[in-house]
Amino acid sequence: MTLNRRNLFRIAGAAGAATVAGRALSSAMTPGAPKTTANAVLVDTTRCVGCRACEAACSEANQLAEPEKPGDAAVFASRRRTGPTSFTVVNKSTEKSPNGEDRYAKMQCMHCVSPACASGCVVGALEKTPAGPVVYHAGQCIGCRYCMIACPFSVPKYEYAKAAPLVKKCTFCAERQGQGLPPACTEACPSGALLFGKRADLLEEARTRIYQNPTRYTHEIYGEDEAGGTSWLYLSDVPFTSLALPGEIEKRSYPELAEGALSAVPLVATLWPPLLMGLYTFSKRRHDVAEEGNGRKGDGHE
Amino acid sequence: MSNVMSDGLNRPVPFPAFVLDKICLGMPAKTYAKSLLTKTNAIYAAILAIGLPTLAYRYWKGMGAVSNLSQTNPWGIWVGINIICGIALAAGGYTVAATVYVFGLEQYRPILRPAILTGFLGYVCAISGLIVELGQPWRLPYQLFLTPGTTAVMFEVGMCAFAYLIVLGLEMLPAGLEWLGLARARRIMGTLTIGIVVLGITLSTLHQASLGAFFLMVPGKLHPLWYSPYLHVFFFISSISAGIGMIIFESTVSRRAFRDELDPEAPVDLDALQLGLAKGGAVVLFATFFIRLQGLVVSGRWDLLFTGWGAWFALELVGFILLPSLLFAFAVRTQSVTLTRAAAVMAVLGVVLNRINVSLIAYNWNVPASDRYVPSMGEIVLTILLLTCGVLAFRWIVNRMPVLREHPDWRGSH
Amino acid sequence: MHANDLLSPHATKAIEYVLAVSYLLLFIPFWRFVNGATAAESLAFSWFQVPANVHLHRGHSWAKTFGGAVAVGLDDFAHKMIGPLDSVQFPAVGSALRQGQKAFSVVADGKSFDVLSPVDGNVVALNEFVRAHPSDAVRDPYGTGWLLKVEPRWLTANLKNLVSGDGARRFLDAAAQVLAGRMSPELGIVLQDGGTPVHGIAREIDPANWDSLVRTSLKGE
Repeated sequence: MTLNRRNLFRIAGAAGAATVAGRALSSAMTPGAPKTTANAVLVDTTRCVGCRACEAACSEANQLAEPEKPGDAAVFASRRRTGPTSFTVVNKSTEKSPNGEDRYAKMQCMHCVSPACASGCVVGALEKTPAGPVVYHAGQCIGCRYCMIACPFSVPKYEYAKAAPLVKKCTFCAERQGQGLPPACTEACPSGALLFGKRADLLEEARTRIYQNPTRYTHEIYGEDEAGGTSWLYLSDVPFTSLALPGEIEKRSYPELAEGALSAVPLVATLWPPLLMGLYTFSKRRHDVAEEGNGRKGDGHE
Repeated sequence: MSNVMSDGLNRPVPFPAFVLDKICLGMPAKTYAKSLLTKTNAIYAAILAIGLPTLAYRYWKGMGAVSNLSQTNPWGIWVGINIICGIALAAGGYTVAATVYVFGLEQYRPILRPAILTGFLGYVCAISGLIVELGQPWRLPYQLFLTPGTTAVMFEVGMCAFAYLIVLGLEMLPAGLEWLGLARARRIMGTLTIGIVVLGITLSTLHQASLGAFFLMVPGKLHPLWYSPYLHVFFFISSISAGIGMIIFESTVSRRAFRDELDPEAPVDLDALQLGLAKGGAVVLFATFFIRLQGLVVSGRWDLLFTGWGAWFALELVGFILLPSLLFAFAVRTQSVTLTRAAAVMAVLGVVLNRINVSLIAYNWNVPASDRYVPSMGEIVLTILLLTCGVLAFRWIVNRMPVLREHPDWRGSH
Repeated sequence: MHANDLLSPHATKAIEYVLAVSYLLLFIPFWRFVNGATAAESLAFSWFQVPANVHLHRGHSWAKTFGGAVAVGLDDFAHKMIGPLDSVQFPAVGSALRQGQKAFSVVADGKSFDVLSPVDGNVVALNEFVRAHPSDAVRDPYGTGWLLKVEPRWLTANLKNLVSGDGARRFLDAAAQVLAGRMSPELGIVLQDGGTPVHGIAREIDPANWDSLVRTSLKGE
C-alpha cells in the first residue's frame, strides 16, 4: 500500500474509529455476544502484502517466541498453521490474483459468534465475551482437547510437551481491547489490510467495498455466515481455500448441530423411569399370576 | 466399632486375620503367594512390568513424549478405544439388569452379577483411560465442583458416567456385603434394587448416546458415510448389541476360567441363556442395520459407496452388523451355541470397528496422509495395561465374592 | 451441507419411507424365523416322556409343585435305564432332604442306587402304592409314579437349579445322545428307525457293568 495522503487519512480514520469503538465497550459480561455490537476485524486480502508485521506484533504482545524465518519469503513455500507459540500465521495463496499479484491472508482464531469450542468445553474454560473475543481461562482447563475436535477451523493448539499443558490460541487481544486498544496485529498492519471495528459496521464496509468495486472482489464475505458468523471477516479476489481458509464450513452455528442430542437429555431422563417402572410392574404382575397358577404364594425374593 | 469381624460361620475372627483370610482365599499367605506362580500370571506380570514404567513416564515427561497425538489429531486410541469402546462394551450391565428386573426374565439372574461386574470394571477402565489421556487429570472434578460447562456434550457424558459408576458400585455392593458377612446392610440394599436398576438404565441410555453426540459437531472432519445427525441414536443402539455380545463372550470365558467358582449344586444352563441373548442380539442388530441404512439415505451420499471408503463402510455394515444378525438368528433357530458365540464375537468386533471408524479412521479422513494418526508404542502399551488391569480386577473379585455363585447364607434372596 | 447432491429432498424422503416400510415388512418374517426353533428334532421327545410342568434335577429326579408342597420322583429316563424295580428304599416321614444329596434309593436286580433330591425340605408323605408295587412306578413316572411328597424350604432358589421345558428337553437330549453312542449297532439301528428303547437300557448296553453306568447318570455327571 503506497503511503500517500489519501492512504494516510484512511489509516488515521480507521485507527480513530477503532479507538472509539474500543472505548465504547460494555462492561457487563453477559454470556454470548450480540452480533451487532461485538468487535470484529475485516481482512482485505487484496491489500495484504505479506509483510508479516502482524505476526511480529502478536508474538511481542503475547510474549511468545519470534515468528519463524522473519523477512524470509521461503516461509511461504508450504502451508503454515498456527501453533502453541504462534497465534497467527500468514499464508500465501496457491493462486495468483486476476491481475497477476500474489495474495496473502493471515490465519488466527475466528472468534465465532457462536463458538463450537465454548459450547463444547466441559468446564467452560472457553468463553465468548460480549466484546467479541473468545477467551480461554487457563485455570479451569482439564485438557480434554474437545475444543480442538469441535473447532471447524482447527484453531486451538495444545502444549503436548509440557507437564501441565494448556490450550493456546489467538486471544483477540482481549486485554488490550479492555483497555480501549485495538488488537496488536491490526495496529501493526502497514497496508490497511486489517480494519478493526464493530462487526455490523465492518460487514457494511465490506459490502460497500464489493458494491463499489464489483470486479475487484469475489462477491462473498468469508465469515459472514460461516459457522453461523465469525468475528474475523475476509474479502478476497482469489478462492478462500487457496488462502488456507477452510472450505467445508457449515453456514450455521456448530453448537446447533448438537442441539438435537442435548435437548433429548431431559426428555429421556423424565420419560424413561415411568416407562421402565411400567414395564417392571407389568412383568412382575405376569410373574405373580404365573406363580399363583402353580399354587404357590409369591416368594418375595428381592 | 470393634475390630472383630465374623466369618461365614458367624464365628468372631480378629480383624487383621480377617483381611488376610479374605485376600488370600482362606489359604496361608505363603501358599497363596505360591499359587500365583502360573504361566498366565507371567504374561500379566510382563504387561505390568512394561506398562507401569510407561505410565510413570507419561506423567513425568508429558503425553507428547509417549503418544503420537498432534495438533491435527488431538484424540487417539486412549479416547477411541479405552473410553469410547470401553463404555460400549460395558453396556452388558444395564442390558442384563433390564432383562432380569424390568422384563422379569428371571432365568438370566445367574449371569446378572458377572454382567454388572463387567460393566463396573469397564467403566473403571474407561475412567482410568481418561486419567491417562487428560492433559491435567487432577482437574477432573472441576466440571462437577467448580465450573460446569453445562452446554457441553462432554459435561453430560461426565455427569452421567459418574452417576452411573456410583449406580454400578451400588449394584455390586450386595455381593461385597455378602462376602464380608455384613447382613443388615445387605438387607437394606435389597430393598433399593429396582430403583437403582431403573436409574442405571436411564443414565446408560443418556451417556451411551452422548458418546456419539461428541461427533455431531464435526461434519467437516468426519467422513460423510459415517457422519449422521443420528450419531447419538446409532451409538445407543449399538451399545445394546455390544452389551449382549460381550456378555455371551464373558460368560463363555468365565465358565472355563473360573470353573472352581461355580457352585456344583447349582448348575446353570448357560447354553439356554446364551441362546436367549442371541435372540435379542439378532433383533437388535437387524434393526441397527436398517437404521444405519436410513442414515445413509438421509445423508444422500450414495455416490460415496463406490469409493474405497464406501467399500470399508459396506464391510462394517454388511459384514459386522447384518452378518452377525443373521448368524444369531440362525444360531437360535438351530439351537447352536457355538454359532451363537461366533456371532457374539463378530457383534462385539462390529461395535469396536464402528467406534474406531468414527473416532479415529473416518475422522480426519480428508487430511493429507502424512498428517494421519497412527498410535505410538507408548499409547498401545498403556491401552493394553489398562485393559489388563481390568481383567485382573475381574479375576480378583470373581475369585472371592459371590459373583458366579450364590453365597450359602443368601440363597435365593437376590 | 450438500446433503442432497444427487437427489432432491422429495426423492430422499420417498426412499426413507420405502426403506422404513420394507424394514417393517421384513421384520415380521425375521421375528418369526428367530422364534421358530422347532422341538420336533429332539431325540428325547420321542424316546422319553418330558411333561411340561415338571422340573428335572441333573441326577434324574424330578419335582412338581402343587399347592404348597412338592412331589418328587424318578424321571422316565432313569426308570428306563434301570429297568423294573425290585423295591424303593424310602426315607422316613419328617426327615430332612437337601438338594443334591441322597433322597431315596431304588433297588433293581439286587443292586441299590441312590437318587439325589431335587429340593430342600422335609418329607411329609410317601407313595404307599409304589412301595407295594415298585415295578409299576415306570408306567406313569411323573403322575401316579410319584415317590415322595416334600414340604419345600427354599423352593424358588431350588427351582433355579432345576431344568424344565426346553431346558429339560435339552438335558434329556444330551443324555439320550450319550446312550445312543454307546448302544450296539444292531440295537442302535433298530432304535434309529423310531423304535423306543427297551426297559432296562443300561443292562442292554453293558451287561457286566450296567450298575456303574446307572450310578454315573444318577450322580448327574
